[in-house]
Amino acid sequence: MSDFSEELIKSTTEDDQGERCELSGTGMHFPWLQKHIETVATGGKKEKDFAQTTSACLSFIQEALLKHQWQQAAEYMHSYLQVLEDSDSCKRQAAPEIIWKLGSEILYYHPKSNVEAFNTFADRMKNIGVMNYLKISLQHALYLLHHGMLEDANRNLSQAETWRYGEKSSSQEVLINLIQAYKGLLQYYAWSKKKMELSQLDKDDYAYNTASQNMLDHSWKTSVNLGALIQIPGVWDPFVKGYVEMLEFYGDQDGAREVLTNYAYDEKFPSNPNAHIYLYNFLKREKAPREKLISVLKILYQIVPSHKLMLEFHRLLRKSEKEEHHKLGLEVLFGVLDFAGCTKNITAWKYLAKYLRQTLMGSHLAWVQEEWSSRKNWWPGFHFSYFWAKSDWKEDKALACEKALVAGVLSGKGTWLCFLFI
Amino acid sequence: MDFPGSLRPTVFMTGPLGLSDVPDMSFMCSWRDALTLPESLPQNSENGVPHVAKGLLWEPETPGPLPLLPPGPDPWHPGLTAQDLLFRGGHPFQKQPRVVLDVTEQLSRFLWDHGDIAFAPLGKLMLENFKLEGARSRSKKKTVVSVKRLLQDLDGHQPWGCPWAYLSYRQRRFSILGGPILGKSVANLLGDLLHEELVTRWEQLLLDDAFTGGALAWVPGKTPRVGQLVYPAGSTLDKLYFQEVSLTPGGNPQVLRDPGHIQLRGPVRQVVTRTVQGESLLAVRSDYHCALWKISRQGRPAPLQVLQVEKGATGISLSPHLPGELAVCSRSGAICLWTPQDGLRRVYKDPDTLVFRDPSPWRWADFTAHPRVLTVGDRTGVKIVDTQVRGGDCHRQSSRTEQRHGVGWGRDLPEGMKSSRSVSPAGGDGAPDLGLGGLTRFLSQGPPGCGLLLFRGGAEASCQKGERVLLTQYLGEGSPESLHSTLHLICTQFSLYLVDERLPLVPMLKWNHGLPSAPLLARLLPPPGPGCPRPLLLGGQDGQLQLLHITGEEASTPRLAGPPQSLPSRNDSLSAFPVLEPKSQWRLQERLKAPTIGLAAAIPPSASTPILSLFQLSAAGDVFHQCLRLQADPGPDSCAPTVSWSPQATACCSQWLKALLEVPPAPPVWAAPTFSHRRLLGCVEQREVEGKVPEGLRAAMAEGRLLQQRDLGSLPTAEPPPAPEPGPDDELSKRLEAAWEGRAAAWWERRQGWSSGPRQQPKRHKRRTQLSSTFSSLSGRLELSDATSPPPSPDPEARPRPPGTPPSQELAQEHWARGVPSERQQTLRDYMAKLPLREDPLEDASAPPSQTSSIRATRSRQRTLQDNTAKPPLQMDTPEGVSVPPSQTSSIWATRSRQRTLQDNTAKPPLQRDTPEGAFVPSSQTSSIQATPSRQQTPVLSGSQRIRKKPRMGF
Repeated sequence: MSDFSEELIKSTTEDDQGERCELSGTGMHFPWLQKHIETVATGGKKEKDFAQTTSACLSFIQEALLKHQWQQAAEYMHSYLQVLEDSDSCKRQAAPEIIWKLGSEILYYHPKSNVEAFNTFADRMKNIGVMNYLKISLQHALYLLHHGMLEDANRNLSQAETWRYGEKSSSQEVLINLIQAYKGLLQYYAWSKKKMELSQLDKDDYAYNTASQNMLDHSWKTSVNLGALIQIPGVWDPFVKGYVEMLEFYGDQDGAREVLTNYAYDEKFPSNPNAHIYLYNFLKREKAPREKLISVLKILYQIVPSHKLMLEFHRLLRKSEKEEHHKLGLEVLFGVLDFAGCTKNITAWKYLAKYLRQTLMGSHLAWVQEEWSSRKNWWPGFHFSYFWAKSDWKEDKALACEKALVAGVLSGKGTWLCFLFI
Repeated sequence: MDFPGSLRPTVFMTGPLGLSDVPDMSFMCSWRDALTLPESLPQNSENGVPHVAKGLLWEPETPGPLPLLPPGPDPWHPGLTAQDLLFRGGHPFQKQPRVVLDVTEQLSRFLWDHGDIAFAPLGKLMLENFKLEGARSRSKKKTVVSVKRLLQDLDGHQPWGCPWAYLSYRQRRFSILGGPILGKSVANLLGDLLHEELVTRWEQLLLDDAFTGGALAWVPGKTPRVGQLVYPAGSTLDKLYFQEVSLTPGGNPQVLRDPGHIQLRGPVRQVVTRTVQGESLLAVRSDYHCALWKISRQGRPAPLQVLQVEKGATGISLSPHLPGELAVCSRSGAICLWTPQDGLRRVYKDPDTLVFRDPSPWRWADFTAHPRVLTVGDRTGVKIVDTQVRGGDCHRQSSRTEQRHGVGWGRDLPEGMKSSRSVSPAGGDGAPDLGLGGLTRFLSQGPPGCGLLLFRGGAEASCQKGERVLLTQYLGEGSPESLHSTLHLICTQFSLYLVDERLPLVPMLKWNHGLPSAPLLARLLPPPGPGCPRPLLLGGQDGQLQLLHITGEEASTPRLAGPPQSLPSRNDSLSAFPVLEPKSQWRLQERLKAPTIGLAAAIPPSASTPILSLFQLSAAGDVFHQCLRLQADPGPDSCAPTVSWSPQATACCSQWLKALLEVPPAPPVWAAPTFSHRRLLGCVEQREVEGKVPEGLRAAMAEGRLLQQRDLGSLPTAEPPPAPEPGPDDELSKRLEAAWEGRAAAWWERRQGWSSGPRQQPKRHKRRTQLSSTFSSLSGRLELSDATSPPPSPDPEARPRPPGTPPSQELAQEHWARGVPSERQQTLRDYMAKLPLREDPLEDASAPPSQTSSIRATRSRQRTLQDNTAKPPLQMDTPEGVSVPPSQTSSIWATRSRQRTLQDNTAKPPLQRDTPEGAFVPSSQTSSIQATPSRQQTPVLSGSQRIRKKPRMGF
């Protein structure tokens, strides 16, 4: 019991430690401060022998890990476990986490370790102290998942899901949600496996009915598991993807749309490009009107102007009737080609060459000028330099031609000729 | 560009640093990062465990790095340590020792070493209370103290509070009289300033961010095996060396010819190189200048541009996209972009930090995947800023503040380079909110134009309390082939983050590096082979190195492939050196422990196993090299095989060591003015008989080295060397023997002669140099060598000496000086010489007032030291008749650094190349004067008039 009460007052002692390391006046912590102090401090309370040996042991383990000496690290780890007996309550509480971190790393990389050893270790560690149960369970499940042991992972997560200690803190809540979500993900995997089987079955078969009945059950459970987590701000791509796929399969288009819209547009969430991509793909599947698609991609364009969907966006804008969309179409192409990773995208160059001609024929010289004026002092050096002309010509003649064409249109005949023939 | 289709699940929480409620999902296991979620079940269940390169290991060929180049000819001093700054007492009531800056000790050392400076003005004020020899005592007042008696009493008084020192009633009276004035006034005046300076020094000791980014660069040459190392060397790191190196297939580099060098005006802090569109460019950051060179195909540098940063530059980076573009950050919080077309342009300015308030003026800027978008970083976060010139929000500044082109170059730059060409506003007022690639990305956070946070020191990245950004770096190379063209590396003292600029605030990868020193150096290298993960090198300031394997194609998130690995540091090379005598050994250790200030690596193409050539530059100017070999899949039982030193390696080390020991040790940065040991030696000379032993002793003392047997020659057998002390019993019996024979007094004298005479002096010398080097923290490296003299030779004889007193005066003083110990005599004599009572004070009193400003213990802005001196006190240090020009004084402040100040920098053209064409002297040091406004006030001469009326001694 004393363990537990100690852990509950942990937060205050941590603060003390923080203040101890500060000392510089700037609020910055220096992990190497102690080293400096030790060269000076002569008096004061000396660290006990026990503390000295354990901290030396810890540094040996860390060193061995960084040198990939797994065998040696394991030997040191064996000795380090004595830290759990430390009379300093602060250290004793911090110990399980450190042991788990280092121990799991050793077991993960040790050439002679196996899943069983890892399982045993994880199960032991879960029950030392109370604060680490959920975290370790989650990581253990991820380990099993990574090793393809879905059944075991599921069992682990189910156990963790029902675990409670004391008042539910918010971090505990998030962890439980995560555990549930991973469980949901596992169920989704099972579901998609069933779906695959189902697609191979005949619809009139008796087996088909039972199988689809099974799937329905799964879907219900999964939605409970996944739904809670994706309300919390975060990056939940695999969960959202799976959840939406299931909702779509069961015809709950509105539900899917709501989930995706929320995921993409909720301000509390980080601006995740994938959220918009998922939404766009969903709307595309749903055959949403072009206007709708454009508005989704417009936001993606603001976040990631270099995304490969931008070319699709350009095609949509080009097909649109609105004049402002035509103008935006030009901007999008320029925007894509601004980025270092897209300079050799021949499709973009083709589009730009074609669209420039089209725009100029449509007597929208001002649009081009507007785009060009902010770029004219760096695009020539960035795209149309002698170096690129030569290397493009060597590697990809088509690309060189497209670029030359664009250069000619943008900066007058002179430059174009230069680009091509220098 | 493709975006990873599915990102790793992460909780996203906003909030301050160290929010305890955030479950730290990363949990800091490297293996956790290697985990992948099965994308879809069937594939996974068939393939089983996806292949993770578990045994990726770069195996070092030697247990530690080897010196590549011989040590430079200049001595090196390791600088301050914690022992110099912190209080060394016990803390009986505290569980943990606390950091207490030891102001008292520094202050008392100041009073001891610079008593003349500290007390002379007060002495003048209290002149009425002293009775100097020769003056008739007119009154029997209790408030008048006889100087002679006082000095006599002080004979044998130990300065460091010897408890057995005898206190005469005169001393007591003096201390009662003078205590309140002497004790308080100086402490009051200096205490605050000193404390401020000590705090600065302490912070610098904890984190010296001057070398952030690293000052060593590898410039690839014509063939992949040949390249140039560019690095600063010399005691002040003001010479930029270009050393051609060829990498052999075995991995060992060969130095090709003698390095070329460029003499710069200030210490080099950062060297950056990029090869953009076939052009190799080199940018160099000094404290107040930045410079850009173009390296020709033959490897010759051609200067392109020099920028002057008045507030001090903190970072420079070269564009990976456009040749010649660079971004410079200044301490004022301004970020400037220099382009060949537009010249210098301020693109961002914010004196405040981004996320929360932090006092550090450190700023950093780097490029992104968009050539016109920059990242701007400070200690609290990193922001993405669009720099495109467009109508309305043009950040263009007048060319005055941050920019001054053409300073210090061998030729005048054409007019077009001097002032930035104006660019017509783009788009007019009809610029749309959408479009224009870079800008549009920022609309989702905050008002347009103010940028978007890429990294926030807070709960978003689950930062710890007290965590600060130490380094940010763009990992893309600009070529479209590079896979990580949108990734940024952010290092804090605890962790390393990889952030994708398309998904701001959420780190793609976080890893707790656990380095025991500040990670200020990082290099991402190209993959050593097809399909291999890219090595990311991370270097701590104290020499620790880590290597991470970063994998992840364009369409997947970056991951750690295999556990990170630590590489040997220079300290590990100690075993390759032969064992030395303690002093040299200590010197070698110090040298190997010097902070790492540069890191460069090259992967030469090789047929079989990939090789990584790693170069490190230390603050002492040493370049070390290490060769690593990739072990792609070691067997199951492979714990890293232990490598040992090859004979060639040890030979190389001993050769280097030999050269190192030939370098004279660093002379004491500052020597106490009143007790020059030259004088002491002079006294000794008069007294002692000539012989080999005293000569050897003196030579050893003068050089401050260990006294060795060969210095003394054959010792007379009658006098055994003092080292093997005879045991106490033995001594006692001898003494008794002598006493029985009635020669106890003679014995005592002989004994005294042995032990205390010659042996005490080196001790004292050592103590003093130690004191003074410590105290140099206060004085800010006062190296007032005259501007016209040749650079100081390592010979100690050439050091500044105290002014010789005129012979007449010496004669006049003889009568009163008798009975006062010789050491004190000198003090007194110097003190007397300073008194304004002489008839011809003019010739001496003409030291320029600016010198005073250099004595100010700190660079504090608004304080005035109410100096009561009639004369600037530092006159003693400089050879007579040489006044230090004000510019030099202030430039000492301008380069307050761990390096020693530039010697005679006024005489030397800045940035002068060693070729004759480049000889051009610009209008000298104006900048540095502006950079640190030195106050050139004349000290208040309040005391001088009053004192004049009562001369007590008749000089």
